[in-house]
Amino acid sequence: METINEPRPEPSASPDTVPPACGFHLRTLYFYVTEGCNCACRHCWIAPRFEAGSSPTAPSIEFDLFTRIVEQARPLGLNGVKLTGGEPLIHPEFERILAYLAQTKLRVIVETNGMALTPGIAGLIKACANPFVSVSIDGADAVTHDWVRGVEGSFDKALQGIRTLVDVGIRPQVIMSVMGRNRDQMEALVALAAERGASSVKFNIVTPTERGLRMHEAGETLKVEELVKLGEWVERTLIPKAPIRVFHSHPFAFKPLSAMFEKAGGMNRCGIFSIIGVLGNGSYALCGIGESVPELVFGDARTVSLEEVWNTNPVLQEIRQGLPSKLKGICGRCLMNGVCLGSCVAMNYYRHHDLFAPFWFCEDAETAGLFPASRLQPAAA
Amino acid sequence: MSESTVPRANPRIILREEFDDWAVLFDPDTGEGFGIDPVAVFYWKRLDGVRTKSQLLDELRQECTDVPDDAPEHLDAFIARLERRGLLSVDEDAAAES
Ligand code: SF4
Ligand code: SF4
Repeated sequence: METINEPRPEPSASPDTVPPACGFHLRTLYFYVTEGCNCACRHCWIAPRFEAGSSPTAPSIEFDLFTRIVEQARPLGLNGVKLTGGEPLIHPEFERILAYLAQTKLRVIVETNGMALTPGIAGLIKACANPFVSVSIDGADAVTHDWVRGVEGSFDKALQGIRTLVDVGIRPQVIMSVMGRNRDQMEALVALAAERGASSVKFNIVTPTERGLRMHEAGETLKVEELVKLGEWVERTLIPKAPIRVFHSHPFAFKPLSAMFEKAGGMNRCGIFSIIGVLGNGSYALCGIGESVPELVFGDARTVSLEEVWNTNPVLQEIRQGLPSKLKGICGRCLMNGVCLGSCVAMNYYRHHDLFAPFWFCEDAETAGLFPASRLQPAAA
Repeated sequence: MSESTVPRANPRIILREEFDDWAVLFDPDTGEGFGIDPVAVFYWKRLDGVRTKSQLLDELRQECTDVPDDAPEHLDAFIARLERRGLLSVDEDAAAES
């Protein structure tokens, strides 16, 4: 028997370091190392500048600033760094960043489209502590993937990227964003990923922000009725027979209890109590959403200290004090809100300009009469 | 906890069964929910204040195959957790008296 709505995480009580003044350890820095990308994905949630050439022009964080931020984060409890973008691998000093991180012994997570992976980069990632790499593949064939990614040849390059990682002993996770065009290829994608040496597959829902929002408006994404059905099919049919681990990013209320308690991982929990974002232009932000929502940018890392931002930023303070008790709408009444925290504060804010607004998927599901009643507080009399 | 322990479910707790035979125990007083697996659901439906712990185990063995040897320890642990959360009360003497 497990509590499904554990109360909000207590301020950190880890024995390794004294918690910062705010009471919360900063565990992971999310570096959106560049605002450029060599893909032009239809569903991208932050819409970076397209960079086709070999000399990227989009803002990219300088190496010296990167290391200064990491060093400031260590006394706050840092144990990992996520490198994402845009496309992190096109950062002009990416290899230098990796070589530095390998010496820090921090855990390194890389989210990439795989196109620019070289044996040199793969080797440097492998030299980092307990590295985790995800590679996005949005179709089981080149026509579909290239259509989603907006770049011809991207499928072959992504597969080559996976091969390069596997050759150095890294088994990446393959991530697919599910939409109308590729929904019938999920099973084939799992088979492809397994055959190519991936460790797992994760299916993401296209989020209604930036280009993803335009896809939603154009009817190119799946409606909540279809998503709920698809989630059930993944849990009940695909996962049991898959040769590798499969996750999907449906909110907690739509996950079987058995998946929550028997198989850890793959749950979409907002990590906001222990992360902070750093944008390619060197600003601190809630996460990558800061690229499109200025209110969620917390200052320039060249001029403000991370300790000050982490301990005193009013948005972070408000989130820490308000989650999950101030969540509104369906998230306020959901039995899972203590573990789920409304799925993604950034996305909820993007849609409603309210840090405690409910998550769109669950809102839509409730409207469609599809929200599982067993996971809800009874409506107030 | 003896074999004659008689557990009784708190009648205010609501059992919400889900598609895969797992269930949520919902406590309307605290707003808390607890996930329980199919074996725990089997027990929960029989925590009627009449059946003893050993009767619960006998029924499980009658209805299910491959009941593990450590089932009594699992039942003890389940009852202890329910009791700690205020989801059930136990009467150690009820069976002995009846
Ligand atoms: S989804 Fe990723 S790979 Fe695609 S455009 Fe956005 S940042 Fe680039
Ligand atoms: S309703 Fe909100 S808290 Fe509940 S599962 Fe959905 S997103 Fe998470």
